[in-house]
Amino acid sequence: MSVIYILVPIAILFVLIAIGVFFWAVRGEQFSDLNKQGHSILFEDDKEQHKKSND
Amino acid sequence: MSNNCFHCLESVPPGFSATVVIDDSAKPMCCIGCQTVAETIVSQGMTDYYKFRTVTAGKVEQLVPEQLELIKSYDNEDIQDEFIALNGDISEVLLTVEGITCAACAWLIEKQLLNMPAVKLVDVNTSTNRAMIQWRKEALPLSEIIKSLLEIGYKAYPFQADLEASQKQLLAKAYIRRLGVAGLMTMQVMMFAFAMYFGMFSGMEESFEQYFRWISLILASPVILYSAMPFLTNAINGLKAKQLNMDIPVSLAIFGAYGASSYATLMAVGEVYFESICMFTFLLLLGKYLEFRARLKASEFTANLQKLLPLTARTLDENGHEHIIAAKKLKLNDRVLIKAGETIPADGIIFAGSTTVDESMMTGEHLPVNKYIDHHVFAGTVNHDGAIEILINKIGQNTLLNQIIKLQHSALATRPKLVEITDKVAQWFVACLLIFASITAISWYQIDPEHAFWITIAVLVATCPCALSLAIPTALTCAVATLTRKGVLIKQSHVLETLPQLTRFAFDKTGTLTQGRFSLDAVDVLVDSLSKNRILALAAQLESYSEHPIATAFNEFTPAQRDLTNIKIHPGLGITGEDDNYHYAIGKSGWFDSKKTNAQATFYIDQQPVANFYFVDEVKSNATLLISSLQQQGLTCHMLTGDASNAGQQIARKLKLDSFKLGCLPEDKQNEVKLWSSQGEIVAMVGDGVNDSPVFNSAHLSIAMETGADISKNTADVVLLNSDLAAIDHLLKISKKTRRIIKQNLALSLLYNGSILPLAALGLVAPWMAVIGMSASSIIVISNSLRLLKL
Repeated sequence: MSVIYILVPIAILFVLIAIGVFFWAVRGEQFSDLNKQGHSILFEDDKEQHKKSND
Repeated sequence: MSNNCFHCLESVPPGFSATVVIDDSAKPMCCIGCQTVAETIVSQGMTDYYKFRTVTAGKVEQLVPEQLELIKSYDNEDIQDEFIALNGDISEVLLTVEGITCAACAWLIEKQLLNMPAVKLVDVNTSTNRAMIQWRKEALPLSEIIKSLLEIGYKAYPFQADLEASQKQLLAKAYIRRLGVAGLMTMQVMMFAFAMYFGMFSGMEESFEQYFRWISLILASPVILYSAMPFLTNAINGLKAKQLNMDIPVSLAIFGAYGASSYATLMAVGEVYFESICMFTFLLLLGKYLEFRARLKASEFTANLQKLLPLTARTLDENGHEHIIAAKKLKLNDRVLIKAGETIPADGIIFAGSTTVDESMMTGEHLPVNKYIDHHVFAGTVNHDGAIEILINKIGQNTLLNQIIKLQHSALATRPKLVEITDKVAQWFVACLLIFASITAISWYQIDPEHAFWITIAVLVATCPCALSLAIPTALTCAVATLTRKGVLIKQSHVLETLPQLTRFAFDKTGTLTQGRFSLDAVDVLVDSLSKNRILALAAQLESYSEHPIATAFNEFTPAQRDLTNIKIHPGLGITGEDDNYHYAIGKSGWFDSKKTNAQATFYIDQQPVANFYFVDEVKSNATLLISSLQQQGLTCHMLTGDASNAGQQIARKLKLDSFKLGCLPEDKQNEVKLWSSQGEIVAMVGDGVNDSPVFNSAHLSIAMETGADISKNTADVVLLNSDLAAIDHLLKISKKTRRIIKQNLALSLLYNGSILPLAALGLVAPWMAVIGMSASSIIVISNSLRLLKL
């Protein structure tokens, strides 16, 4: 059971990383407009395609 | 479907045919505007927009040269100071973009702008309709960015964040961060708390329990010392102002229990309550954040203020040459040229030209005022049809517009306020809590000094007013959400509490009780040779070229085919046009030396009057219903109008208003409302113009119409999105219901606190019971509030 003396601090480390990522996301305005972020996955990044078609 | 425009889904007018090939099939378009926009979208490879949009685009309007000139003026360095922030060689601007309807728009805009190499970063916010753009200014002028947005159908103008709005944004972010920390950490603390609960029943090694306590202390510390800090600062601020607020018992419980639990951990004695206070902090923050966000959304909606004053002005030097300068650089006695359709940049006196000016934003009256040489014109009003030259006699803070705004700000400081329920409850709750805790401490000290401290802490945790503090914010949030769905924006937290206490409603006339636009009341045909319909068709055709408010009254008569030519607008007189046989004119009575009558417009053929038109500003269809419904509920209804004509009297009589006052200046309206509130009346003001914004801050509650001036919407506590008076009735109903729910919530949570208090005082409440009791009571209160969503 003494393994928890190591595992729990590691778990806490993960929580700290999660909080770090969360703060980063807040600073990047990801929470200011939930509507847009949810849809962003739908759109293809077809920049290359239209560059070719324009040529 | 095939008859509708693919871009804006409006029907394609007969005779217009244009198509754009989108995803390999030709789609119909309704106008040149939509066609160009769709073509741009296709050529940029952005057809995904049509695939994923959830709301259709607005109809695209063609630009007129004056608008392009205005866009160019945004490149003026003097003007840019106000809205562009420089960061090295990267400039940053916030644009308000009209017409953003869904996430697809945001994508379209971001993609369009990022196609330009000078643009570094674009972030579009679909809830505020704003775009933040970072780009290199030397490589690309701002006007090019705005123009490229126009190419895909969005009108944009620089947004000037006022201090309050940007502070709110920061506050919102801080809330989210605190909430995130509290949520993540509470989960961890709960996990260890559960391990300890099981340990209590089945036994646990001393060293493990002590280890878990230390871990809980470490995990709970950020929640208490970071997430719960606002409660402590609020409590301290309250105490400094000698007020007992809800944050005092909250901080007492959180920080008292945290201190005691930390002590218990360090000394390995007593009980720990880390999980209770973490959970408590999280729930409370969540409730507060949701309430804050509901109001933030409402205020963001109205913060996209179109500037009241133009950014540039055309000055004339001694030689009569035009120079375009930043409007804020205007000096006294400058000569300024104002063309038709432009907004007047500063107060002045006309010394050349004549025109009509739309002063509706000052007076609330939509009928343009005739202006000749030596007449005063005011900053912010719109020059209608003639070009004038004015001599500036008041600038900056001295203009009439800024006087009104100043009046509004000074009223804010003295605004009457009702005591909110929360504060009333908090006051005696704090008192009871302190008395009870000290009685517990003293009596247990007599009986069992060793346990006295721990039992007192248990009392503090058990009476922790979690449900009580959630009782009001959750009910308000749900009510605000329901109202927003019904098109009523609530911007201030006090609105729903003030509403049921109102005794008096004051209304503005034009645009509030009436439609604010003219409709044809009577046509008086003076000759026999022409039918009424023929005259109306001819008049409507002429009026379709006019921007005069009366012209809209003819909209329904406009024929499909226009056969008049040589259309001319005569400022202050009317419009003329010709066909092959006759010369037609519509305009003021007495034109062409004819006999002057009291008709509001006269139609002339070959300069002979043939018909007189009379117009009325019709009362809104549901105004009568609202007034009688309010009066039935025991509220008195009054009208305060800037209009001095007897139209106001007629309307007051028709609507059976309790009293009315005509010809009110903004100060008069304010004084009237102040007089009422000094007599103990609780007053709500309903209005729409700039002239109503000072009185908004004198009334207990202010309601603005969506069609009103931006400044009045920004000041008001409530904005009626569809300008529908019936919404006021809904508002009253929902506020009464909300009040009932709040009372139930308060009763429920006091019942919980009251019943657990004796148990805690007897030392019978273990930490796990405190958590269950607190969560259960909070959930009951929240569920009760959720009933408001179903209204």
